[in-house]
Amino acid sequence: MTIPSTKELLQTMQEAAENLSKNDRRDFLRKGVSYLAGAAAVGSAGAASGASFSTNLPPNEPIWGRQLGSGVVANPYGEPSHFEEHVVRRTVPWLTAESISSISMSPIQNLQGIITPNGLVFERYHAGVPSINPDEHRLMIHGLVDNPLIFTMEDLMRFPSVSEIKFIECPANGGMEWRGPQMEALQFTHGMLSCCEWTGVPLKVLLEEAGIQPEGKWILAEGADGAHMSRSIPIEKILDDTLVVYAQNGEMLRPEQGYPLRLLNPGWEGNTSIKWLRRIEVGDMPWHHREETSKYTDLMADGRARRFTFVQECNSVITSPCPENPIKKPGFIEIEGLAWTGRGKIKGVDVSFDGGVNWQPAQLKGLVLDKALTRFSFQTKWSGQPWLLQSRAYDETGYVQPTLAQLREQRGVNSIYHKNSIHTWQVQPTGEVKNVQVT
Amino acid sequence: MFKLPNIFAVTLLSVAMVSGVVQADGHKYNLGAPASADEIAGWDIDIRPDGMGLPVGSGNALDGEAEYETQCAACHGVFGEGEGRWPVLTGGEGTLSDERPVKTVGSYWPYASTLFDYIRRAMPFTAPMSLSDKQVYGITAYVLYMNEIIEEDFELSNENLATIRMPNEDNFYVDDRPDVKNPRCMADCADVSSMMLASSLSGVTPIGHFVEGADAPAASHEGQHNLETQKEAKRKAEITGEEVSESLSAEPAMLSVQAQAGEEVYMGACFVCHGSGLAGAPKVGDATAWVERVGQGMNLVISHALEGYSGSAGVMPPKGGRMDLSDEQVTNAVHFMVESSH
Repeated sequence: MTIPSTKELLQTMQEAAENLSKNDRRDFLRKGVSYLAGAAAVGSAGAASGASFSTNLPPNEPIWGRQLGSGVVANPYGEPSHFEEHVVRRTVPWLTAESISSISMSPIQNLQGIITPNGLVFERYHAGVPSINPDEHRLMIHGLVDNPLIFTMEDLMRFPSVSEIKFIECPANGGMEWRGPQMEALQFTHGMLSCCEWTGVPLKVLLEEAGIQPEGKWILAEGADGAHMSRSIPIEKILDDTLVVYAQNGEMLRPEQGYPLRLLNPGWEGNTSIKWLRRIEVGDMPWHHREETSKYTDLMADGRARRFTFVQECNSVITSPCPENPIKKPGFIEIEGLAWTGRGKIKGVDVSFDGGVNWQPAQLKGLVLDKALTRFSFQTKWSGQPWLLQSRAYDETGYVQPTLAQLREQRGVNSIYHKNSIHTWQVQPTGEVKNVQVT
Repeated sequence: MFKLPNIFAVTLLSVAMVSGVVQADGHKYNLGAPASADEIAGWDIDIRPDGMGLPVGSGNALDGEAEYETQCAACHGVFGEGEGRWPVLTGGEGTLSDERPVKTVGSYWPYASTLFDYIRRAMPFTAPMSLSDKQVYGITAYVLYMNEIIEEDFELSNENLATIRMPNEDNFYVDDRPDVKNPRCMADCADVSSMMLASSLSGVTPIGHFVEGADAPAASHEGQHNLETQKEAKRKAEITGEEVSESLSAEPAMLSVQAQAGEEVYMGACFVCHGSGLAGAPKVGDATAWVERVGQGMNLVISHALEGYSGSAGVMPPKGGRMDLSDEQVTNAVHFMVESSH
């Protein structure tokens, strides 16, 4: 067996990668991995360029053990291995007119644990991502307060800070499937969902600084971006758990997430957590702005509409297996998924293999936190039998995740938002997974 | 001995610090500065249904019509019917309980104040906060007029906007969830014989990223636009028998220094229309569309960009509505678009 030098290997890869589109290149990398396994089984290096990869498997010493890698600060802000370049946010272009006022989804099919890495948190913009100089950013608090105040970022970061792990979800998550299943991927059925550790100051503390007047019952939160995105929030929520945050997962907010400052209303529809937050006005009634009348209201079958549907109700989905993560071969399998509720903590999750006829309790694993993603697990064996796989979460208020039929019966199919129904994956005898609906 | 008092002073201060007296003035931290009336006035842009926040002023649909056509019609359509996937503003009355409801200002929005507020804070899309109060009153009036909510000559003002009743106001109610109660049944929870299974539609998921060779929609808005443009061209070609022209250039162009300087302005100000061809705008990358225009001379193209132009293909507002941009910035952006479209 001839072992190619590093230079030869790179040359081979270079030649093979040239003339390939970006998507093809991703395939090429994947195929590289399977060539590697395949060629190793045969135990010979063939003439095909890919086969030379087999020299990285036992008993051979792999190429990365025979050379040096790059040194410290070669990449001062690190990034994932390029073998993970398929793990990215994605959009469904036909949902919106263009990308500036649009949404992307987190690749929750590729994530572990409950924390979403900052670069993969789903995006929702109404006028694109502004580039804000933190030295010139201000938060103004006024309206029904004794002392209108204006804060610099330095002022805000001098307050005692709190750090809390909370999920954030767009109320339109799953909204493409009220009428029927149409998204052949978990990223598109449930990816408007992320969970981070957020650091900042309770808004209550800032409002106490300004002194809320007794008539102050609502606030208006407003962004500094071109949309000047605005939402009315009842004061009870502020006094409960609303935060003004400047950091996520240990670093300053990403521009996509509101750098340098955003509101965070834990457990409530994501759009209420105003990004690029610049202004809080206290008032005695709601403002009924565009994003709480024309949008983010839920149209019922009778033509009437619900407004101020703030809470993201209890929801769950199986993340493995799923269309992107088919079952590769029979044997042991850990069925895993995520559960979350805007009303507190997840109490438990049940799993069904027969489309919801019979259920078995799953295990919650890792941290079980208030208004945070919670991971569940069910260990079993798969021997090629078809499954209609479902998960059903329930929270500490006793609320049980509903079926799609129950939601449709109450609301019809035109409400767009707040579809938190039990989701079904059809596991086929091949191990492939399809998105289906059972009614 | 004479140093003793100083030592005492230091010790007393330390005791005060560790005993928790960190907040001066009761519970306050005294961080932040008073917001002045001027500062508040500049940022306090919100309007409420009761009229709170409306600036003194007025406008009517006759004033608003021309403003609407230059500032709004490119996306929302001349009659508010909406271009492409941009929001429809008119029509849809009586459709809210239909299978495909049409939610517009007239059919759905509960308050007229929301229209004024939203236009002022976020419109036009490419140049938010660029309209005068007079313009906002005029455009608001025109959109209400198109929806047959006010008359053409009704003078909409801070005095009367709050009195306008929208047709759908009474059809909203506050969230009454939880609205379903699913018992946590564990066995024999459904009748297998009556269960229905619906499978996913094919061809609507951008799934090329994990299903090889899938005939799926594009993964980006630009790609989707190109896909739809090509499909449309093919459809037309089949009817007319004409050949499909492949005018979208694939290779990135070599840019002059001026063009490079214009790229950022292009992304921020021009991309929405010139990236997609919206409102008849020549699309960046569409060589044919630009050759025609550049053929008349770069100076003319630049003067149209600066001063505005109304032609058979569509309307170009002066500087695309971005009057805050300098002539040089707009000129650079034109160079970027032209050079990117060879």
